[in-house]
Amino acid sequence: MDTLLTAEIAANAPRYRRKSSTFIDGIHDVSDDQGNMAPAQLYSTMSGRLFHSGRIAIVMVGLPARGKTHICVSMARYLQWLGVKTRIFHLGDYRRATVGDGGHVPQDYFYPNASPASVMLRQKILKKCREDIYAWLNHENGQVAIYDAVNPTASGRRSLAKEFAKHDVQTLFLESYVDDEEILKENARNVKISSPDFHGMDPDEAASRYLKRIQEKIPVFETMEEHELNYVKMINAGQAFFYNNVSFNYLSHRIVFYLTNLHIKSRTTFFVRAGTAGEEDSYKADAPLSEEGQAYAVKMTETLLRHREQERKVLAERSGRDEPLRPLTVWTSTRLRTIQTGDPLKEKGYKVRQRSQMSQINPGVCEKLSERAIRSLYPEEVERHELDPYHHRYPRAESYHDLAVRLEPIILELEREQNDLLIIAHESVLRVLYSYLMHCSTMDIPKLKFPRDEIIEIIPAAYQNEAKRIHIPGLDPKMIPGSPEDIRIPVPGPPSGQLSPIPGMSSPAELPEMVVTRPPEKVVNKAKEMVADKVADED
Amino acid sequence: MAPKTNGIGVQVEDTQICVVMVGLPARGKSYIAQKAQRYLKWLSIPAATFNVGNYRRNDSPQPSADFFDTNNAEGERKRRAAAAAAVADMLKWFKNGGVVGILDATNSTKERRKWVLDTVTSHGIEVIFVESKCDDEELVMANIRDVKATSPDYKGQDPESAAQDFRNRIRNYEKVYRTINADGDEDDLTYLKIMNVGKQVIINRIKDYLQSRIVYYLMNLHIRPRSVWLSRHGESMLNLEGRIGGDAGLSYRGQEYARKLPELVLESVGSDRPLTVWTSTLKRTIATARHLPAHYNQLQWKALDELDAGVCDGMTYQEISDMYPEDFQARDEDKYNYRYRGGESYRDVVIRLEPIIMELERSEDILIISHQAVIRCIYAYFMQKTQEESPWVPVPLHTLMKLTPRAYGTEVQMFKANIKAVSTWRGKGSTAKHEDPSPDGGV
Repeated sequence: MDTLLTAEIAANAPRYRRKSSTFIDGIHDVSDDQGNMAPAQLYSTMSGRLFHSGRIAIVMVGLPARGKTHICVSMARYLQWLGVKTRIFHLGDYRRATVGDGGHVPQDYFYPNASPASVMLRQKILKKCREDIYAWLNHENGQVAIYDAVNPTASGRRSLAKEFAKHDVQTLFLESYVDDEEILKENARNVKISSPDFHGMDPDEAASRYLKRIQEKIPVFETMEEHELNYVKMINAGQAFFYNNVSFNYLSHRIVFYLTNLHIKSRTTFFVRAGTAGEEDSYKADAPLSEEGQAYAVKMTETLLRHREQERKVLAERSGRDEPLRPLTVWTSTRLRTIQTGDPLKEKGYKVRQRSQMSQINPGVCEKLSERAIRSLYPEEVERHELDPYHHRYPRAESYHDLAVRLEPIILELEREQNDLLIIAHESVLRVLYSYLMHCSTMDIPKLKFPRDEIIEIIPAAYQNEAKRIHIPGLDPKMIPGSPEDIRIPVPGPPSGQLSPIPGMSSPAELPEMVVTRPPEKVVNKAKEMVADKVADED
Repeated sequence: MAPKTNGIGVQVEDTQICVVMVGLPARGKSYIAQKAQRYLKWLSIPAATFNVGNYRRNDSPQPSADFFDTNNAEGERKRRAAAAAAVADMLKWFKNGGVVGILDATNSTKERRKWVLDTVTSHGIEVIFVESKCDDEELVMANIRDVKATSPDYKGQDPESAAQDFRNRIRNYEKVYRTINADGDEDDLTYLKIMNVGKQVIINRIKDYLQSRIVYYLMNLHIRPRSVWLSRHGESMLNLEGRIGGDAGLSYRGQEYARKLPELVLESVGSDRPLTVWTSTLKRTIATARHLPAHYNQLQWKALDELDAGVCDGMTYQEISDMYPEDFQARDEDKYNYRYRGGESYRDVVIRLEPIIMELERSEDILIISHQAVIRCIYAYFMQKTQEESPWVPVPLHTLMKLTPRAYGTEVQMFKANIKAVSTWRGKGSTAKHEDPSPDGGV
């Protein structure tokens, strides 16, 4: 399939771990140096472990179609953002690797009174997965291993906790418990039933069949009530939480806080830049919008509203009913340029909120200096900056890392928001927020591009968000690239929208006036198709 | 509801939340209420506590345990009246722009909770119940002896018999007490239930971000004893010139303070247990921390950097008042909200310090070496200073402050290094120069 190794070799290799067998979440495929994936790490320690917490296994508990994978992926993304070295271990991968392509687990695999052969198989798979967890925690400075499996019985969970404790790993169980039929069916419809088994079937019918099949396969499931264990029970996708805390502290509070803000309701986030300000603007002066900037605000507003109206029509056609637009909320920073860019929307009656955390990155001594001047004045700083453009901070300036820490409350509020959201902010702020939603490496964050003639639309999907770019037509080409007040901290790569030849197209001399480097139109995510093969994945 | 602004154009939260405390007496309800109120007010979220006991006391100052017997019709009537008066006052307060009102009472029956819920939600206000449930008899008795026996209800009485009477009072409540959703018919409520000081927690139907924030904050509270130490950096070269901001090194006397600091810290800690040191990223705080023992863990936080004075950075007060006379005056009129051109206000500093406060709440024994405005904001959090007061609090150079949170309020101790330094304090409406703080303005 995706690997040259046969499943058997893979399963018996001493340190087998999935690299990218399903591409389901973009988290498994990160480079081994996870330091790059920690935009908001508050501090670092010798061991790489944070929050005065040791090594932790977060053990998922719950039947299939309870949204476990969604929770794992979101949680891992958030913890990595905080700088906690986190990795997900899906037991299903180990099982698939062990039984091989086209192989099936025995019918009684999940039965409490399974045959000795099935019990042996189960233990073999489990052992493999646990060994990988230990290896990662012990030899790669991992801190949080998320162990994604059904873990249906209390006795199994007790022995698992004991087993981890022997290896000096604390265990926190996280159960996703669902008794709301609607949520169950929705989950089943969303993820599982695109399988050929259910081809052409009415979605509701397919969902019911799928759920029934799970019940036959896993007849016994005991919800968590083990008072001596640390566990969080998330009930009906976040409607309620039960939290049994024997010895845990900050990190689990933090996880609960994050989970209380997580919701699966589909809504869109839009990012746009603020308009341009007058010539004399600087970071310190906080100048108002120029005339061009005001014209930009109007055009941006028109484009956005037209786009939303179109989307609504498409939706209405598809469903055959008139779909009302989701309400739109606007967030700006407390800088004049962003506030004024939101004014046309405010006049139309949209709610605009100012967030002081969303001010642009502070340029410190680099303010108003050209790149050449910076290079000649601070050659050593430039050298250090080029080594680590994410964490390095020029004198008196903020690094991207500082910015990410400052934006952390915004991230949680972003998760919580139920309305569609438009964020009008400086490019540096958009980079950090985008990197959270799209899970970018810290090496890439300072280079992300947000030309002014595009609205970025981020649509959440089950496992990974999808980003689209909407063109704002009719703008003065002069305002599209980095604006005069932009910070000229030399970052590798050209600034947004800067002219650059496209290789292989034509010689630079013949280029039309505005050819800009842009990211792809749309970052497409195929998570749904890719997990279709998990239909038989019952743990 | 029309969006509201707080006078300087910043939109405030548009939800109003009533936090309804639930639980038997001596379960730390007032402690939780007091902490939550302090935290929210510090974040500029208008918050107030309405303690039903205080309303009842107006009418029946020193009742015996019988008063709380549900069969005592007269007592029952009076307690109901007190609750109604508290809720009425709270609703009046909400009308005048309150955002988080805390109703501090036992609210121990389903009927009472339903009454509060119906009354409050009919005014468009969200309700979150916060229950503290504790079965640990020893913890309860300790709380009674510490706090309740000294309550105004028992003024001038023998503490032991007071504790006994209070225990009997609790028994009367126990007869009718129902924990939230005990019968499964309160599942629609939004609530947080904390059992045995956080051993178990139930969170139900959190509806918005502010609610989740309150819940998160309450979950981070701990009751282990600890202190927080605060110090400004040693006198800097720019302090000598009377300039604000900048990133200068220490003056000679500033360096002397840095050398003296380990001794001061040791004296105030009283043992050799190590502290964790947090500094800003500016030279003068890092230099101030450099002589501290090597086994103290040191972390630099950008969030602890001095208030950014924008275009005024590196100027003297005289220069500012010459160049920006209107700004200088505007700052005096509302120092908390005044934002330097291109810089920050105290309000902005508080917002960026929020993660620091959350870290502080969950940690033990932290020494913070930072700057005047930042220390003022942290001090304001612990000492519950108003926004009018906090930007004017004198925080002298070369002085170590030790804050120890207690059940009701925070204890402050000052340790002076006796090393001379310039004053960096300026009185409200006074001339544009630094001066000595007036004696009554002292911390």
